[in-house]
Amino acid sequence: MTAKKILVADDESHILHVVSLKLRNAGFDVITACDGQEALELAISEHPDLVITDYHMPQLSGLELCQKLKEDPSTAGIPAIMLTARGYQLEPKDTEQSGICRLLTKPFSPRQLLSTVNEILRPAA
Amino acid sequence: MTLQLNQRADSSGHEPSLIPAAVLDSLAARFRPNGLFVALLRPDGSVVWHDPQAGMFFQRFVLPLLQYGDPADGNAKLNICGVAPGSIAVNADLPGVLLAAVGYGQRRQTNAVIVLAAKASTFKLSEDVVRVCSRLGLDGIWLSQAADELPTYLEEMIQRHARMLLAMIRDQMRLENLQGELDSLSGQLSDTYEELSLVYQISSGMRINRRANDFFKQVCLDVLEVMGVEGMGVALIGEHSASQEPVLYGPLGLPPGTVHRLADELLPILCARKTPLLLNQLAQDKNFAWLSEHARQILAVPLLRQDQVLGCLFSLNKIQGEFDSQDSKLLNSIANESAIYLENALLFDDVHGLMMGLLHSLTSAVDAKDAYTCGHSERVAMLAKQLTLEAGLPEALAERVYMAGLLHDVGKIGVPESVLQKTGRLTPDEFEKMKKHPEIGARILKDIKQINDLLPGVLHHHERFDGQGYPAGLTSDNIPLMGRIICLADCFDAMTSNRTYRKALPLEVALMEIRRCSGTQFDPVLTESFLRIGAEKFREMLRAHHDQMRETTTGERELCVA
Repeated sequence: MTAKKILVADDESHILHVVSLKLRNAGFDVITACDGQEALELAISEHPDLVITDYHMPQLSGLELCQKLKEDPSTAGIPAIMLTARGYQLEPKDTEQSGICRLLTKPFSPRQLLSTVNEILRPAA
Repeated sequence: MTLQLNQRADSSGHEPSLIPAAVLDSLAARFRPNGLFVALLRPDGSVVWHDPQAGMFFQRFVLPLLQYGDPADGNAKLNICGVAPGSIAVNADLPGVLLAAVGYGQRRQTNAVIVLAAKASTFKLSEDVVRVCSRLGLDGIWLSQAADELPTYLEEMIQRHARMLLAMIRDQMRLENLQGELDSLSGQLSDTYEELSLVYQISSGMRINRRANDFFKQVCLDVLEVMGVEGMGVALIGEHSASQEPVLYGPLGLPPGTVHRLADELLPILCARKTPLLLNQLAQDKNFAWLSEHARQILAVPLLRQDQVLGCLFSLNKIQGEFDSQDSKLLNSIANESAIYLENALLFDDVHGLMMGLLHSLTSAVDAKDAYTCGHSERVAMLAKQLTLEAGLPEALAERVYMAGLLHDVGKIGVPESVLQKTGRLTPDEFEKMKKHPEIGARILKDIKQINDLLPGVLHHHERFDGQGYPAGLTSDNIPLMGRIICLADCFDAMTSNRTYRKALPLEVALMEIRRCSGTQFDPVLTESFLRIGAEKFREMLRAHHDQMRETTTGERELCVA
């Protein structure tokens, strides 16, 4: 079985490093993007199994990214995890309409992120 | 100039990896198209690695020469193997082959040499080449053909390539080092995130109304995972512990007796030192050697408030490695937060205990005036709380209703005893006096702002749903909820208790009476909830109440029955 591919998008490079290290060590194939536009292009060309995206990003916000992915039939099925600042609430309708299945608040626990990823990508066999 | 060696001690006895194989692969791939062969040799001449995709000339002819040397020289070690780190040496001694070596190591110490091999410009089927071929079992003609396609090299050409190789290795190694550093920093950052989110999680769980046991359990479970330990426990000092016994969570699972002993020995030590205690070798510590049959390592930190030790957090057995100052710092900051919670919880308990004590005394004072209503306020409080919960209202409200229930008859202090204790019917004048008690009660309590929310319960517990009650004659939903609740509980308890003028009604009869008065005297919705509680539950509650009265307030009891 080939490794599941995860696209991580965040304009803060240290977040990208922390998340990719954690996920790579857990055996996932990780690709990264440092803004929403790059993430969108990569999602379309690479077809990841999951997208983990920050909310605040230049070019295209995390929410816009998820909405665009949802609009394109070829990427509509990709689940997404959104990272947000603490105290920031997304409207429930926004999450429902954009394929976001989990929200994690920063500073998040990488361990918790990994277990969330596992829940989504490796449902109990 | 020296090259940094990527030294990784390998305990399994294999050779330490000098240069990562991935780096060698990419170097070999760069030089292969130029007809150059890359190999890695130790200073003793042994070949550690070579380009596995090299052509036949290199695989069959050059590699054995590198491995065994020229048989003509008695297989002597190649003179290029000792080249200093960062220097280049060229060797043209082998028949038909040119070698250039780049030293690699730390400071002056050569740990390995990377060798570039090429077909020399002088290559031909010379006597020497034929001799080597016959030693290696190769056909000379075949070798010439295998070498035919390869470019030939002069010394200065291979030297130029060696200089390029040197620069590439240096860049590659720098890249490797940077990547390693990045990974290690990311790892540290990841740990910091973990700790930060743990501390945040703990502080957001510090709600004062949370039970200490639950709070500490969550703290322990979180730390178990984040710090990677086998056991995580908490021990509080006796006077602060209330109901909290020392506990240990996690896979280690010591028997309770051992946890108790550990707590008993840890606490005095931490009270004295007030700083973390870190023992990575329990067996060698005189105080804790006894524990070494259960655990290897311990890290304990005090729960400190204003220089006073309230207890401690302790973790046992780090799953990987030993406890270090990082762990100690993390556990300490968690202890600091927990201590804030603990102090607040203790203060809260204290104030709450004082308040409840005062409420109960006040209630007892009222009940003492009237032997027949002894325990009435307590029972009303209990019944009213149960009704609140049964009606699906919040638990916090149920607690307030309980307090209002305790206080509902406080106003009877202001009613003459002659009226309160009269056997037989009250005259209209006496009844008017009796009817004053809700207002008197509300007046007595009105200046205590912390219980202002209870006043409607006290003032309106004699209102009727149809508006025929007192003091305000309010109807239906205009009667405050607390008043409606306490009214039901009050009437039910009055019916099921002995009174000066009649015996107690049986429970079932009282319940029928309640049902009959639904909508006139009582709120119909609340009545439904009340009846749902059921006779059996009421009996059980009254029994429990009776036992409790006997157990805790004997003095009060004597007063009542006097």
